[in-house]
Amino acid sequence: MKKLNFITLLSVLALATSCMVVKEYNKVALNDEDMQLSAVDCERFETNFQIYREAAAGANGGKTGGGCGCN
Amino acid sequence: MVEKQEEAVGAIKFFLAGSCLVICSIVHGQTQDSLVRYKKKVLETVEVDMLMSYYEQEGKHAAVTGGLGNEQLTDYSPTIVVRIPISEDAVLTADVGLSAYTSASSSNGNPFNRSGASYVNGETPRGNVAASPPQGSPWYASTGASAKDVLTTLNINYQKASDDRNTYWGVNIGGSTEWDYESFSVGLSYAKLWNEKNTEFTLSTQLFFDRWKPVIPTELHEYELFDDSFLYNDDSYFSGVSVMDEQGNSVASYLPSNFTSYTATNRNSYAISLGITQIISPKLQGALFTDLVLQQGLLSNPLQRVYFQDRPNFFVGNYRTLGAYSDPANRDLFHLADDVERLPNQRFKLPLGARLNYYINEYFVLRSYMRIYQDNWGIRSTTFQFEIPYRVNISWKFTPIYRYYKQTASSHFAPYNRHLSTAAFYTSDYDLSGFDAHQWGISLAYRSVLRQLTLLDFGLKSAQIRAQNYQRSDGLQAFIVSTAFRFVLD
Repeated sequence: MKKLNFITLLSVLALATSCMVVKEYNKVALNDEDMQLSAVDCERFETNFQIYREAAAGANGGKTGGGCGCN
Repeated sequence: MVEKQEEAVGAIKFFLAGSCLVICSIVHGQTQDSLVRYKKKVLETVEVDMLMSYYEQEGKHAAVTGGLGNEQLTDYSPTIVVRIPISEDAVLTADVGLSAYTSASSSNGNPFNRSGASYVNGETPRGNVAASPPQGSPWYASTGASAKDVLTTLNINYQKASDDRNTYWGVNIGGSTEWDYESFSVGLSYAKLWNEKNTEFTLSTQLFFDRWKPVIPTELHEYELFDDSFLYNDDSYFSGVSVMDEQGNSVASYLPSNFTSYTATNRNSYAISLGITQIISPKLQGALFTDLVLQQGLLSNPLQRVYFQDRPNFFVGNYRTLGAYSDPANRDLFHLADDVERLPNQRFKLPLGARLNYYINEYFVLRSYMRIYQDNWGIRSTTFQFEIPYRVNISWKFTPIYRYYKQTASSHFAPYNRHLSTAAFYTSDYDLSGFDAHQWGISLAYRSVLRQLTLLDFGLKSAQIRAQNYQRSDGLQAFIVSTAFRFVLD
């Protein structure tokens, strides 16, 4: 777990420090709907049943609480 | 003469320069006006999403019957989401959903209905039922009141953007209700973009104020009502019912004395969510998210039985089935509960998630998601998900999907009949056990370029169908298919 945390921390630092600035006119690929950094519409139902059937929840844009089945 | 010409040229130059300045200022002013007049709206027109999902599952570890029994469940969830542009900067979203389910597992809060002995004109009879003794089984769905229900949800969200579209804030309010549970929530959100919109920071908070309307298993309900006399009180459901020990002898010593009534039924959840997204290159962007979640109150489910290995076992039904209780062929024998699950009244959850999306080419995109999770009930988990959307043509897209999930067991979990009555906390809910799960499926998406299909004044913008299989290592299997249709006001 410590190793995983270390890799995560490194990733954060890499993201924060080594990125180039991409101009608006150069964001054609980034504006593709599949490049969006969020779940797709239909995925909300999958996230819902996963919240019921798994102990982990959150950090995915889904519910973090509320409801009797949320473990 | 030459001097006059130079003066004339100077005057012309001055005039031209002045004209240029005036024209420039007019053009600039018009541009400013145009920018104001034609500021791009956050949402151009009203959008309506019509969503639907069908979910079914099968398993053999029902929590309502103490970690052993039928987990069959089906659920239909129609949902409508309406987004309305309130102004150029603001959007109001209303999200209304239903979730209609039938559940073999939760129906067995009262498992004895199947025989008909306990179900006369829709009501549980009281008094002597010896003439037609109740039977039940953890493997068979009874016709109990909890067999089916509808969960209704409503969420309203208002979001406003700054003129430069670099700052967003929002507020939301929501609620849900079902037969044994009510939930109310409020939340705030804030987002800031900078670095030429290459970097975005999000902060949100969500508060849930929930309340149980506790429904407890029938045998514990009668014990709660009649105390030690619940097996022979004339008004008790168990009056005249033969309760057996493990040898098949009719006894009167069954006493679930660990059970105590619920005095507090609230469950509150407080969540703070942080996120940062970053463009890494013209084809790569990623995000990190975390939620700090604190839950307090009644965190256990009052309907879920627990059996103790250090207490004698008692049954109702056909004594000939005693040796095969855990066999799904058991249709007429039921193990009476020692207690319902007991869990701490506080839980702290810490998930950390990351998304990384890479635009491979005009046909393929790689979408990836990873999450690590930890809580103070002893659970740790890891999640990976990959999707590779393939653009078949301008309208159609096909996406294979795979997700892997693994978790360790809660320190409060033990299987059927393995808990000790001396423990402070116990549950046999396999959702809190250790397992791994594989989920795979496909998605087919359609984008209507010309919006030929219309419904009233709305044109179809996009449609999607997504089907997934889910297989858990404890034997639970599930299937979900969901659809989404987006219409926009023409």
